[in-house]
Order: sequence, then structure tokens, then C-alpha cells
Amino acid sequence: MAIYSFWIFDKHCNCLFNREWTLAANSSSGTVNSKQNEETAKLLYGMIFSLRSITLKLSQSPPANEIRSISTGKYRVHTHCTASGMWFILTTDFKQQSYGQVLQYIYSHIYVKYITHNLLAPFDLAENPSETRGQGTRKINNRHFIAALESFLAPMIMQ
Amino acid sequence: MSNSSSMPAQAKSLKHAGEDIWKNRTEKVNAELFTLTYGAIVSQLCTDYERNFQKVNEQLYSMGYNIGVRLIEDFLARTALPRCENMVSTSEVVSKCAFKIFLNITPQITNWSHEKDAFSLILVENPLSDFVELPMDAMKQLWYSNILCGVLRGALEMVQLDCDVWFISDVLRGDPQTELRIKLNKVLKDEIPIGED
Repeated sequence: MAIYSFWIFDKHCNCLFNREWTLAANSSSGTVNSKQNEETAKLLYGMIFSLRSITLKLSQSPPANEIRSISTGKYRVHTHCTASGMWFILTTDFKQQSYGQVLQYIYSHIYVKYITHNLLAPFDLAENPSETRGQGTRKINNRHFIAALESFLAPMIMQ
Repeated sequence: MSNSSSMPAQAKSLKHAGEDIWKNRTEKVNAELFTLTYGAIVSQLCTDYERNFQKVNEQLYSMGYNIGVRLIEDFLARTALPRCENMVSTSEVVSKCAFKIFLNITPQITNWSHEKDAFSLILVENPLSDFVELPMDAMKQLWYSNILCGVLRGALEMVQLDCDVWFISDVLRGDPQTELRIKLNKVLKDEIPIGED
């Protein structure tokens, strides 16, 4: 199995965090919160946003119908959306079918632990209305969060 | 309601999920320590605001709000529940999962409004107010557990439910029961990126 990149979006449609690995052999290669990924983030968000509205329309019974993964010819996108509007997204190769538990673990044991329970940091990175609706650029730079995430995901980067 | 026949099964599984998470996946702390910590906060606020209990109520509410907006993420991480489709299922989740996991109590849900947009929670036991007896001057004005209203408001707002939450009665004030009212104002719209509409 190999993972290519990891993303977090909030309910304001902003990309809060992105991590891209470039060399499978080196788990510290690649970029964290790169400016160059802004455009990719918007495209990725748009793709998932559109597919989400389609799946919601196509589901017959009222309980929410969330997309779990999207497969393309080259990679697979795994999504985990929470009721509070956070999106956790992982792009991977095809070797493993589901990363649902991985994303759930990142949310409950890394994000909630280091970001939500960090009471002195703002709980919402969009500070004013001009940073909502996908226009915000603030990123998660919490050292504990990044370190815990890296060490959790490192074993999955190797091919 | 079209799906009313499926409600009991759903409610049962929520109850089961709440109990399971409480039993197996929640670290426990001494309830007395918790009760006394909360008591210390309230008594400090009463001193700080020179026994202006209106102000104390407001301050407890806003402290609760700040807790609620974070606690919701903790709650969702533990339960992985999706959004509720209506207030009936919201009330079940609040009573059987949220109160169970965080306070180990299951308040009764009653007094539904005609439009099913408001309900009451009856707190038969309230761990915040164990050992508490209000002094005479606070009896009429202080809502001792007002932090709960703030927590509920903050948490519900984070799942796009704009609600008013307030106490109707409290055994500490000599009422027969402790009743907390939740009323839905509106379901907030999810944001969409600029240029999508």
C-alpha cells in the first residue's frame, strides 16, 4: 500500500492542512501546507463537493449517504466527512480497499486530541466572514499535530 | 411521520451505542471531584460579579458555549454519528448518547411542541448540583447548572442546528423537577465555495 497525500477541509470550505509525499522511499519527503497546492486543494474540494451532492440526491432513504471513496485510473481518494462539516481526505494507490478506519483514527486520536482539545488555540480558523466560503488561507501549524500525524502515516507511505 | 415505525429500533441502538461507549471507551473521573470543581467555578463567579446572578448566568452560559463548540468534535469522534434528520432523532442522540457518555445520565424527553421543534429534558439526577443548596438571595435568580445550556447550544450550532436552550425549572429553586428546554430556531445552511451558487 502507498499513500500519496492527505488533506483536511473545514466547514467553511477552506483547506486547513495538506501534506504531499513525493518519494515513497522517504517518509519525510514532500511538502506540508504548500502554497502551490492551493489550486489542487480547490479542485479536490470541488470534485468531492459535486459527488457529495450527487450521492445525497441519489439516496432514497433520509439518513445521510456519504461518499467513502472515489477511484480514478491512477489513484483512489478516500473521504471521511463529519457531522460538524470537517472533511478528512487521503489519496492512495489501489492496494488497499478502505482507509475508513485510518481516517477515523486520525480524526479521533490526532485531530481532536491536538487541535480541538488545544483550548488556547481558536476552534475555528476562519476569523471573519471574508475567510469563509473557501477564501481563507489559514493553516494548521500545530507541531504536536504534525508530528503525531507523520509518525502515524509514515509506515503507510512505503510501497 | 413516515418513518415513525423505525424510530424505536433506532432509539434502541442509540441507547446501546451510548452505553457501550460509556462502558468501554470513556476514561472515568471521580464524580465528586467534578461536582466540586464546578461548584468552585460558580462560587468564584458569584464573588467576582458581586452576587449579580443575572451576570453569573450569562457567564456560565458563555463558558458552556465555548466548551460545547469543542465538545461536539469529541462527541462525533467517539460516536461517528451522522447528522440528524429531525429534532426527534436529535433529542434521542442528546439524551441517550451525549448525556450518557459525558455525564452518565439519561434525561427523559418530554413536552414536545406541536411542530416537533421544541422539547424538554427532565434531569432526574444532575451531577453538577449534588450537595448543593442555594443561599436565599440566589434562589430566585441563579440557574446553577446554566453551563449545560451553553454547552448544548454551542454543540448543536456546530452541527448546523441554531437552537435556544434554557432552564424552565430547577429542584435547587424548589421546583418539583429540573427541566431544560431546547427549541430549534432554524437549520443553518452549509456553506458553499464562492462562485458555486
